[in-house]
Amino acid sequence: MQISIRNFTKTFDTTTVIDDMNLTIRDGEMLALLGPSGCGKSTTLFTISGIHRMDKGQLMFGDRDVSGLPSQKRNVGVVFQNYALYPHMNVFENIAFPLTVRKDAKADIDREVRAIAALTHISELLERRPGQLSGGQQQRVALARALVRKPDVLLLDEPLANLDAKLRLEMRSEIRRIQLETGITAVLVTHDQVEAMSMCDRIAIMKKGEIVQIDTPADMYSNPRTSFVAGFLGNPPISFLSGIAMDSAFSIAPIKLRVPLGSRQGIADGTQLKLGIRPEHFGPEGDIAVQGRIAFAETQGRENLYDVALADGSVLRSIQPAGKIWAVGEPVRWHIDSKSVFVFTDDGQRL
Amino acid sequence: MRASSPYRANLLGLAFMTPAMVLLLGFFFLPVVLTSVFAFTNMSTATGISGGSYVVTGNLLRSLTDEGLDAKTIDALGQSSYVIDQAGLEKARAAGVDAKFIAEIAERLKDRSFTSSSAFERELKTLPSRPTRIRDLKIAAGAFEQSVLNVRYASRGEMEAALSHMLENPPEGAIEKIATASYTGWTWTTDNFKNLAIAPDTWRIIGNTVFYVVLTLAFNVFVGLFLAITTFYLPPAGSGFFSVLWLLPRITPVVLYAVMWKWFTWEDGFVFNIAQDLGLPAFNYMKGSVASAWTVVILVNGFVGASFGMILFSGALKAILVQQLWASEVDGASRWQQIRYIILPQMRWPILFVTSYQTLSLLSSYEQIWLTTNGGPGSTTTIWALEAFKTALNNYTGNLQYGLGAAMALVLVAVGLVLSIVYLRLFRFDEMMSKPKIEF
Ligand SMILES: Nc1ncnc2c1ncn2[C@@H]1O[C@H](COP(=O)(O)OP(=O)(O)OP(=O)(O)O)[C@@H](O)[C@H]1O
Ligand SMILES: [Mg+2]
Repeated sequence: MQISIRNFTKTFDTTTVIDDMNLTIRDGEMLALLGPSGCGKSTTLFTISGIHRMDKGQLMFGDRDVSGLPSQKRNVGVVFQNYALYPHMNVFENIAFPLTVRKDAKADIDREVRAIAALTHISELLERRPGQLSGGQQQRVALARALVRKPDVLLLDEPLANLDAKLRLEMRSEIRRIQLETGITAVLVTHDQVEAMSMCDRIAIMKKGEIVQIDTPADMYSNPRTSFVAGFLGNPPISFLSGIAMDSAFSIAPIKLRVPLGSRQGIADGTQLKLGIRPEHFGPEGDIAVQGRIAFAETQGRENLYDVALADGSVLRSIQPAGKIWAVGEPVRWHIDSKSVFVFTDDGQRL
Repeated sequence: MRASSPYRANLLGLAFMTPAMVLLLGFFFLPVVLTSVFAFTNMSTATGISGGSYVVTGNLLRSLTDEGLDAKTIDALGQSSYVIDQAGLEKARAAGVDAKFIAEIAERLKDRSFTSSSAFERELKTLPSRPTRIRDLKIAAGAFEQSVLNVRYASRGEMEAALSHMLENPPEGAIEKIATASYTGWTWTTDNFKNLAIAPDTWRIIGNTVFYVVLTLAFNVFVGLFLAITTFYLPPAGSGFFSVLWLLPRITPVVLYAVMWKWFTWEDGFVFNIAQDLGLPAFNYMKGSVASAWTVVILVNGFVGASFGMILFSGALKAILVQQLWASEVDGASRWQQIRYIILPQMRWPILFVTSYQTLSLLSSYEQIWLTTNGGPGSTTTIWALEAFKTALNNYTGNLQYGLGAAMALVLVAVGLVLSIVYLRLFRFDEMMSKPKIEF
């Protein structure tokens, strides 16, 4: 079921948290809402589920306008950021709750709950109370409760935040598998760009209540629309250099750096610019030489991470396959791959 | 080091317990012990609370007759006799009787006795130095009068001596019986409980008390819950106003609150006038009929308890995480299901608390009833605590029966204890209190 949010505005008391947002989530798609803390991800999710009402705008499930519908009637499953399990019920009763209030037959409830508990690997916990579970177990109970009544829409508010690395990987593919199998439309709120990129069909990046860009993970990575998006995706993150436009090139005169702007034409000389260089596009290989000194080195096993300080104090990050090791303090003359750099205006717009 | 730590933990626990133990001792055990002591005495205004003396009074003679003491003995107790002995002669001298006359009495009548004043006086008149005035003669005769009636003896021995002196051939055990009965101080007795058990009023008052407690408690809990939940769902501005409104019965001084109810329900009061305008029966609702009196009593106490319940329930409601309520809504629960499955189960502890606390305080509180219906009309709204209060401390006849009142209070304490245990079982209190959350 396609979900479209049109001209959505949300105000708490006097602060407008979301202003005139437009977002379409395609039928059967899994969309990641990615953004820094406090940017309005949960608010957006709560609005889709009906917990918050829109101050302005329209919410469509398929071609049904559900803006005025209470959450009970929307058939959405939500996994809350803090699980929101019912502390006085055991795990079974928690998962069964959506079916119980729907007055399903006892036998059906039992079957459904056990099936979903098996899927989420909590079959042996059914008798426990939430207070007797670890954070990760609670999260899986919350997921089971959201899924048990086969909702039209699944909304996940950072569902994997408390899992250990192995379980997180497992649950990632588990959630994705369930989502693909059921064809359910899902929204995943996350801080974790790796999670967003690995699980979702598309990513929407939010900043201060606005959607800055919405794209597939690959497009988002290779073609960011703003410096904020470029900075948000990628680990280790992209590094930026500040300079000016001069003779169709990005230039930092003191260190005699010149990166041709190539096809980007019509930029007046003297314009302030930012150059974004991903760590994989700076290293011993490349076409534009830069003189620097290793300021920081980190061994990550398969790869090594370096910070290279340039003469004017700015820093470029680089990621290199393990093998040759550079020591901190060692002077290096490395190269930027000029074809892969991003050029932004001073206020962050991509050129 | 490690081995000593459980011991230290116990000491620490003991230290934590000490203030509670002291308070328990001072405010619970001590009053209960005193009540128990009083309950097994016949203390009253008449006996006083210190020791007494031994007096045979007219009243006592009547009650001894009722208890089957033979008429001859009773009669003898009521009589005076005149015995010419050394003590009488001394008394006469002290009363200023003529010394010559006294000497004649001693000489001629020594060791004789007379059973009536007229016989004795006749005998006196025959003496040569008799006084001319009849009044002086009577004074002289009076000095030799011996009677136990209305004479105060400090000890039992003196009373028994006086009695045996008075009574010729008393029946077996009569002297001891009279001496015991003549004691004016308090004694140990279990009669209070025996009397309570057989008094016809007892069961009526118990019935009244149960009726009152059950209905008022139900009102407290249900209205308290209702108010808490409705204000919980109201927007903040409205709920603040409502909370304060419902708190009024709790924060108004009891006397003022009772006066407000009088103004509300008495003749020419608020309800009276409305009823009159509507053509409905208008009378003093507080005292005019049993049904309306009960209604008033239950409402008066009900609103006080309801606002108490509301405060507690509201607090407990605010402690429920809002995400749980959101979750229940997206899970499809209606408002009612949300209350039924999410809110009420998490209110078990405050509901237990209000129920048990209110049961106990309703059982033992009488001041609102005392100030409104005063147990009337008749004694239809008299509850146990009010009756105990009146018996022991506030009695129209003026004879306050501390002992009986204490016995009634002790019954309340016993009932309260039993109820507490039942409540704790019923609500599986132990489960809630089980392990301390912070490990030592
Ligand atoms: N009930 C509320 N009243 C007032 N302000 C609120 C309320 N709920 C959220 N906000 C504000 O709205 C903004 C967005 O909140 P939201 O919970 O959507 O952030 P988020 O993107 O989910 O952040 P996080 O990643 O930390 O969960 C925040 O600045 C927050 O302070
Ligand atoms: Mg959030």
